Formats: sequence, structure tokens, C-alpha cells
Amino acid sequence: MKILIAEDDPVSSRILRTTLEKWGHKVVSTDNGVDALAELQKEDAPRLAILDWMMPGIEGTEVCRRIRQQSKTAQTYVILLTALSQKTQMVAGLEAGADDYVTKPFDRQELRVRLQAGERIVQLQSSLVQRVKELEVAIGERQEAEKALRNLTLTDDLTGLYNRRGFFTMVEHTLATSRRSGESSLLFYADMDGLKLINDTFGHSEGSAAIKTTAEILGRTFRNSDIVSRIGGDEFAILAQNASAKESAIILDRLKENLRTANAEGAQPYQLSLSVGTVLVEPRDRLSLDDLICKADEAMYAAKRSKKPWTNSTDSRRAPNGTAHRASTRP
Amino acid sequence: MMLSEISESTEISQRSGPGIFGCPVDLAVLAGYESVQLEGEPDLVIELIDLYLDEVPRRVQAMRDAVKFRNPAALASAAHSLRGSSGSLGAQQVAQICAEIEGLESVDLWSSIPPLLSWLELECQRALHIFLEERRSRLR
Repeated sequence: MKILIAEDDPVSSRILRTTLEKWGHKVVSTDNGVDALAELQKEDAPRLAILDWMMPGIEGTEVCRRIRQQSKTAQTYVILLTALSQKTQMVAGLEAGADDYVTKPFDRQELRVRLQAGERIVQLQSSLVQRVKELEVAIGERQEAEKALRNLTLTDDLTGLYNRRGFFTMVEHTLATSRRSGESSLLFYADMDGLKLINDTFGHSEGSAAIKTTAEILGRTFRNSDIVSRIGGDEFAILAQNASAKESAIILDRLKENLRTANAEGAQPYQLSLSVGTVLVEPRDRLSLDDLICKADEAMYAAKRSKKPWTNSTDSRRAPNGTAHRASTRP
Repeated sequence: MMLSEISESTEISQRSGPGIFGCPVDLAVLAGYESVQLEGEPDLVIELIDLYLDEVPRRVQAMRDAVKFRNPAALASAAHSLRGSSGSLGAQQVAQICAEIEGLESVDLWSSIPPLLSWLELECQRALHIFLEERRSRLR
């Protein structure tokens, strides 16, 4: 492995260098602490350093401290090499951040086994760093894959209805078929009334429950062949295939009745309510789906603004179950 | 290198352990480096001797300067360095005198140092003589 030597005594440095090279190591040599720190900052720097304790400029212990303070060099395995042999001095060296020490003149066998221990630590650190990198890449790939999967999925997690992507995918195909066969369709755009109040009053989990219940009511109201979707937070879009303007009122009455039943059962401490806009899609219409949804959305907002009970024609609305009742749901 | 104050150094040698007439260099330490000699490279032992021949006068002079300018840190640093290289090459007596200089308390530093330095110079000369002999024999 590549080893840095920082030793100002040329005799000791030469002995150390030759010994390490004899053992097959690649040696980078400096004779002071400043150059040692610079070497350890380089790309592909040695991961193991043998530092003389007493050097001109910066002593080995101070080099240790600085190595440990810098993230780029903090993992360097450091052996202090010194003629000092008192226990307190050795403790001071280890406290400064050295991993091990060898006294001069060094015993080659001792140095060899201490280097082997250091190499094992460095290799373990490298494996660990490599493994962490691999895991980070794997996690990144997994997150990308999940994101891609989420983008590809056609259904809404909360309600099980089609999501926006699913609705567009299914409706584009269905409208093209209807145009070819000369059939009209009805596009409904429904927005829950008072979801913010439910969230603020009962919490978001109850808000989610309200969305789920509304989705179930819509599912019961429309036919299996109709495309029912949740395209936004509290917004639903439904395409009723092969349906005329006349059927719009029938469907809305059925929706009204299903809502009334759900509210009468009182499973939830608030009244579910929807504002609905409806657009008749004729076979000759050449409006895009975005345009059709935009029209239905406008109709829905007109219904919401009108503050009237349910109306027939292209858009309909039912007001929330009375201001007094809503107020009573507040904690 | 100055060889002054030899009489004091004799006294110190009795006090501090190693006799001045013992073998100044353990040549077995030098021979030990043959085992790490790299193939195709210059003789490592000769190279180490040459480095030491350069090192000794430089460090002794640094100690002399430190005494002259009353600089205890520079004195300890030079003694420490010479102690390291001497110990690594088996010049144990030089290393031991350096250790003694390095460990001197500041209170008696300037009075103790002149005889120690003289003794060090003498031991260095003896060691260098051995190293030069060894170098010559290896070049033959």
C-alpha cells in the first residue's frame, strides 16, 4: 500500500523508506509536518502515515490533530514514530489522534506487525466506504425506480380510482372509440365541498376518510363501464360512456340520493357534499380532453358560486348541509 | 570537531554509565540492514554511513550554536535528532550522551553542557572512525 513517511532525520528516514519498499509498499517521503499535511490532502493520498514525533515546523502530534480535524484526512491511519519512550508521552500521542506508535530505533518485526494491523484497519475502512457508496447508489436507483413506477401507475393509492394519468389514458382511448361509433358521452367534474373545514376540524386522516367515502359513493353511482377518477386532492372526473344529456339528470339524482343515504347513516360527524359540473361530449366535438375538463371545471365552479341547491342542466350543485350544521362539527 | 575538555568527559563517563573505551558502534545493527537491501539499488549500509557522516558535524555544530546563543529548545532538538540517527546505526554511546543532553534540566543546563558536548565530540569521532573503516571494507 501507499505509505507516507514524515521524518526529518535523514538516516532514520532512509532506513524506514528502504524497509517499507522492501516489504512491497510504495513510499511518499517528507521531512516536515507541513509537507506531510499537504501530501495527505492530495487526490489518491496515502491512507497510512508514519509520522516522526519531533519535526521542525509542526510536530507529529500536531499533524495528528489537524489530520483528525479535516474530513478529507480524518480516516488516515497514523503511526507515531519517536525516540521518546515514556508512557505519558505515548498517551499524549494517542490522545492527539495517533492510532499507534513505534519507538526509534524501531524493531523491524514490531513495525511489520503494527503496519499489518494498520493495513487491516485501512482495508476495512475502504470496504466500509465502498459498501456505503454502493448502498447509496442502490438506494438512489431504487428511489428512481419507485418514482418512475409512481409515474407509470394509473390508479390513486388512497381511493383505488383512476388517477389523473389513468383518467387521461383511459378517456382518450374511450372518446376516440365513441367518436368512431357516433355515441355521446357525459363528462362530470366534481369537487368536494368543505374538505378544508373537515381537515381543519377533524384532522387530515379524517379528511382522507372523507375522500375515500366520496370515492365509494361515486363508484356506486356510476356504471362499471364508466371511468371514475380522482384527478386532484378533492376533485373527481368521471366519463359516463354512451350517455346523453337526458341521462345527466338521472345520474345526478342518483348521486344526490347516494350522498343523502351516506349522510343519513351518520358514519361521519359531518355532511358530505359535492359541487358538480357536467359537459356533454358529442361525437362531432373536436375539443381536446384538457379543453373538455376545463369546461366541466368552469361549470362546477359556476355551481359552487351559485349557492343554490342542486340544479339540472349542464352543471349541478348541492350546498353543504347548512351552515349551522357545519359549525357544529367544530371541536 | 573540537576535542577540548577531555578530562571532564572522563569524569562524566564514570558518572553516566557507558565507558569511553567501550566499542562505540554495534556493527551487528549495521549488518542487520543488509536484509532490507533492495536489489539493483546502491549499498544501503554505505548510503546510511554517508548520511551519518553528513549528519554528525551538522548536529554537533547546531548544539554548539545553541549553547552559544543560550537556546535550550534548539539544543534539545539537535540532540534528539542525533540520538535518533545514532541509535538507528548502533552508535549507542553517542545516542546515550545525546539522551543525557536532551534530558538536562534547565536549572543546570549551561553549566553541565560544555563537558557533555566535549565528550559527545570524542565519542562521535570514535564512531565515525569505525563507520569509515566499515565503509572502506565494504567498497573493497
